[in-house]
Amino acid sequence: MNPHHHLDASTVIAYSAGALPAAFAAVVSAHLSICSACRQRWLDADRVGGHFLKQQEGAPLSSTARASMLARLSGEEPEGSAEVAVSTTHDPHALPKPLWPYFGETYQALRWRLIGPGVHHIRARDVTDSHLMLLRVAPGRSLPMHSHGGNELTMILQGAYDDSLGHFAPGDVADLDCDVEHQPVTSPGVPCICVAATDAPLRFSGWLARTLQPLFNL
Amino acid sequence: MMATDPVTPKVTPIEAIRRVSMPANHAADDAGYWADQMAAVSARRDVECFMHIYDHYAPRLQRYLLGLNVPAAQAEELVQESLLRLWRRSAQFDAARASLATWLFRIARNLYIDSVRGEPHWLPIQDGLEQLDLECTDSTTSSTEAFTDQAGLSRAIDELPAPQARLIRMSYYEAKSHSEIAHELSMPLGSVKSNLRRAFAKLQAGLRPSR
Repeated sequence: MNPHHHLDASTVIAYSAGALPAAFAAVVSAHLSICSACRQRWLDADRVGGHFLKQQEGAPLSSTARASMLARLSGEEPEGSAEVAVSTTHDPHALPKPLWPYFGETYQALRWRLIGPGVHHIRARDVTDSHLMLLRVAPGRSLPMHSHGGNELTMILQGAYDDSLGHFAPGDVADLDCDVEHQPVTSPGVPCICVAATDAPLRFSGWLARTLQPLFNL
Repeated sequence: MMATDPVTPKVTPIEAIRRVSMPANHAADDAGYWADQMAAVSARRDVECFMHIYDHYAPRLQRYLLGLNVPAAQAEELVQESLLRLWRRSAQFDAARASLATWLFRIARNLYIDSVRGEPHWLPIQDGLEQLDLECTDSTTSSTEAFTDQAGLSRAIDELPAPQARLIRMSYYEAKSHSEIAHELSMPLGSVKSNLRRAFAKLQAGLRPSR
């Protein structure tokens, strides 16, 4: 994958600072796992964090902290350098690894739920501060026009779609905030599967509203 | 307090010279000094060098975690756990990729998200992503920390317009989400993001002034 649409710098900063809701962090991790350019920006953001850490004045620890640290050292074995082999070849049947804890490893094993004409979805259950879901939209279909009360972060996993912001193919992320109203149209051929994080209910203005609104507005 | 340290191993002449030639205040700002301390920890489990790192960074980590509203006792436990991780994983530290401050920031941030925010998948995902980083140390030498300009970053932060500097600080020192910042400053969400975007571009330029 060689993505053309990347994470917004403000999203990278929030991820680095530990300030991103869990659903968004999951999508960011998924994109980072396939995008070396964004990994580089992430490292830069962490350098800013390191700089602030270094510049800070310290806060005192309890009087026993130092001695207890020393006492704990002798019982600790070094872990050695990390030598776990990570496959860099892209397996078309596997989801990006950071999504495995939420949805499982392979597309085949996904259990889709129909939620509207040509639209299936799966919600990640163990995310509580935001919404994380997989969406599968049939090829050549137009999603209803919608905008967002807050943020939306979407990564394309399979297939593609077009909207006013451009063409989005596997690996690309659409990093949108509330100002954007868009109407994605999926490309012909294969279904478009994406992983999406939202922190506020979507606001649909189209005909699918009755079907989709209860889904997003929990 | 531990004025004298019974576990401290003998100081080799080379280390003694280095310490004499590098007064503490000066050394603390020098990424090379901390890389040397880490090399000693990694190569021979040097407790004295580890405690140099501890004495300098433990209070800073504590301040960082208190800033994230972690209660003092829990913050201290996370500080100890962060430095224990550094002790265990010292072989994974690569001074060419990240300074000790950057590495410690990552460790503490990750433990904070794991235990305070209670996100059970965060640590394994981060370990996986860091593996990718290790693999990608191919030809991107210009992007490694050894080639970045810490003074340039410091200057870039100082030169940020006040509103942008404030947003960057709120992000890092308080781990505030964009929505929280927008609410707190009565600022449109879009402005929070665009200001952070502009600030980050300047900081990146500061990290690589030659580009």
